[in-house]
Amino acid sequence: MVKFIKLLINEQLKIYIRKSTWAMYIILAILIIGFAALTNTFEDTNKYTEDNWRQELQNENEALLNENKEFQEDTGAEDDDFYISFNMDTIEKNNYYLENDIQPLQYGAWQFTMDNRGLLSVVSLLTIIIAAGIVASEYRWGTIKLLLIRPISRNLVLLSKYISVLLFAFFTLVFVFLFSLIVGTVFFGFEGIDPHFVTEKNEGFAYISVISEIFSGYGYSLVNLVMMATFAFMISSVFRNSTLAIGIAIFLMMAGNSIVSFFGDREWAKYILFANTDLKQYADGNTPWIEGMTMGFSITVLLVYYIIFMALTWVFFTKRDVAGQ
Amino acid sequence: MSNVAMELVNVKKSIGKKEIIKGLSFSIQKGEVFGFIGPNGAGKTTTIRMMVGLMKLTDGDVKILGNSIKSNYKEAVREVGAIVENPEMYPFMSGWQNLMHYSRMIPGISKGRVKEVISLVGLEKVIKEKVGRYSLGMRQRLGIAQALLHNPSILILDEPTNGLDPAGIREIREYIRKIAKEQQVAVIISSHLLAEIEQVCDRIGIIKNGEMISIQSVKDQEELEQESLSQVQLEVTPINHAMNLLKEKYEIDAEVNDQSISFEYNKADIPKLIQFLVSEEIDIYQVEISKVTLEDKFFDLIGENVIG
Ligand SMILES: Nc1ncnc2c1ncn2[C@@H]1O[C@H](COP(=O)(O)OP(=O)(O)OP(=O)(O)O)[C@@H](O)[C@H]1O
Ligand SMILES: [Mg+2]
Repeated sequence: MVKFIKLLINEQLKIYIRKSTWAMYIILAILIIGFAALTNTFEDTNKYTEDNWRQELQNENEALLNENKEFQEDTGAEDDDFYISFNMDTIEKNNYYLENDIQPLQYGAWQFTMDNRGLLSVVSLLTIIIAAGIVASEYRWGTIKLLLIRPISRNLVLLSKYISVLLFAFFTLVFVFLFSLIVGTVFFGFEGIDPHFVTEKNEGFAYISVISEIFSGYGYSLVNLVMMATFAFMISSVFRNSTLAIGIAIFLMMAGNSIVSFFGDREWAKYILFANTDLKQYADGNTPWIEGMTMGFSITVLLVYYIIFMALTWVFFTKRDVAGQ
Repeated sequence: MSNVAMELVNVKKSIGKKEIIKGLSFSIQKGEVFGFIGPNGAGKTTTIRMMVGLMKLTDGDVKILGNSIKSNYKEAVREVGAIVENPEMYPFMSGWQNLMHYSRMIPGISKGRVKEVISLVGLEKVIKEKVGRYSLGMRQRLGIAQALLHNPSILILDEPTNGLDPAGIREIREYIRKIAKEQQVAVIISSHLLAEIEQVCDRIGIIKNGEMISIQSVKDQEELEQESLSQVQLEVTPINHAMNLLKEKYEIDAEVNDQSISFEYNKADIPKLIQFLVSEEIDIYQVEISKVTLEDKFFDLIGENVIG
């Protein structure tokens, strides 16, 4: 165990000692600060005060109704319907606040953190880059030879590298979370220990905890992150080429949804990895992409993919000769 | 306990249909320095990769202090320190960080030990600098330091003199001798330049096309001076008379070229031979003596230096 922890220390050191890794964190930090600045500039984040929030909501509803009337009168644009129903949703939500006499939550650090869950795709991207390099780079540097002539099995060396990738993803996730909270607090203030807000759920609107929304949002994104990182890790150890691994993994991550909708009408479409990585499709009364799919089905498919990725990685890394390229 | 540090038993390696190593068998004693010589592409690096477990053996076995590299990998490789081909290190880390990295992979290496090997290879001044900025010679030294970290019983160095200046080569020879003698470490050095490692080796194995074509021990310098045959070239007149005298008295079949005759003879006995010729009133203008080196034998053995 001590031996394994030392291997992990080595791998983490090799990740974090490099400037390119620090550049990743700097980019994330800039993105977070940028989002905060944008939100601060373009949205009135302080409009619902203790005294006037009821009035404010009613004004909002009126304005939205007027907007809808205009949409209905000039029937030019195609996406009118979309705007209309979007506005109706907002009106309903506002009414929920009014009926239940809940003051809308001031915008703050927690909600900012929740809104930043989109950054998890950036975290996935960075994790793919790390996963793609962690085996292939050892070959490129030639250091694989010195790494593998130690009294440690190749299994353990590979495991330490895989766990290191997951640790990197975890640390980066924590960074996004904490840094968003800090930046959010600086820009918008702190909403309190356990703020609640109104959002649409299965049974209509509900008043729920922002923090639990953050965790479920981050949690759902983790599935995709782990699958794509494992995929990149596999390509990296099978082909010993990090550029190839980054290229394929990022392409698939970007194109995943298009691939699924392109083959959507085929019988086997539901077995495509990307049809199953978004487990959120089963939550909150969402309808799954393809009829007949269930949470259990998706988890099974994900597990099968995961096992295949892992098996290929392991066979290629532990059984193959380390010879000149 | 047996004195054998490493034993190769009929080691074979095929890649695809090509047989690269065709059954090597030899052993190396504790404290012995073994030179592994062969032209480019002979299979030195391939053999070394198999010795350290980077490549699987197609057939045969490698035993390190009795442990098979195939079935007892960890115990076997624990006793080995090696550089395989170029001494590649992490370029973005300092020499110190590189050594600490490897020291974490083997239990029981103290910081003191790391400092010890650094001073052994004389890298104290640059050890905090990034390896990316090291010269080839400095990296070679760091490679050796890395191989020595865990006090291995067997040190395997693939072309350690590659990229070193003459002073560096001499230094490396010196501490290879030193650790072999003082710590009874068996050392295997590969090279395609015999002259560079000849002086440091106890035995030399010559490999060509994946086969060991000769293993011979290297006598130390003094013995060589005394015993070994030297090439003697004499410029004399009259040539025919001199040839006859040599034939009658010493049974030497000399060759004639231009004004001189040449033959092989023991260096120690040459003065007597000259005295004899002078006493027979032969005029001697010039005596030239050159050593028959292992290098000559090497080229005799491998023929011209053909790859493949
Ligand atoms: N991965 C490989 N696939 C196929 N053939 C290979 C492979 N690696 C080496 N060889 C062949 O094996 C032979 C031996 O190569 P090796 O690198 O062991 O030679 P060497 O004695 O170390 O030569 P050098 O002095 O140039 O370092 C060469 O003919 C080479 O072409
Ligand atoms: Mg070689």
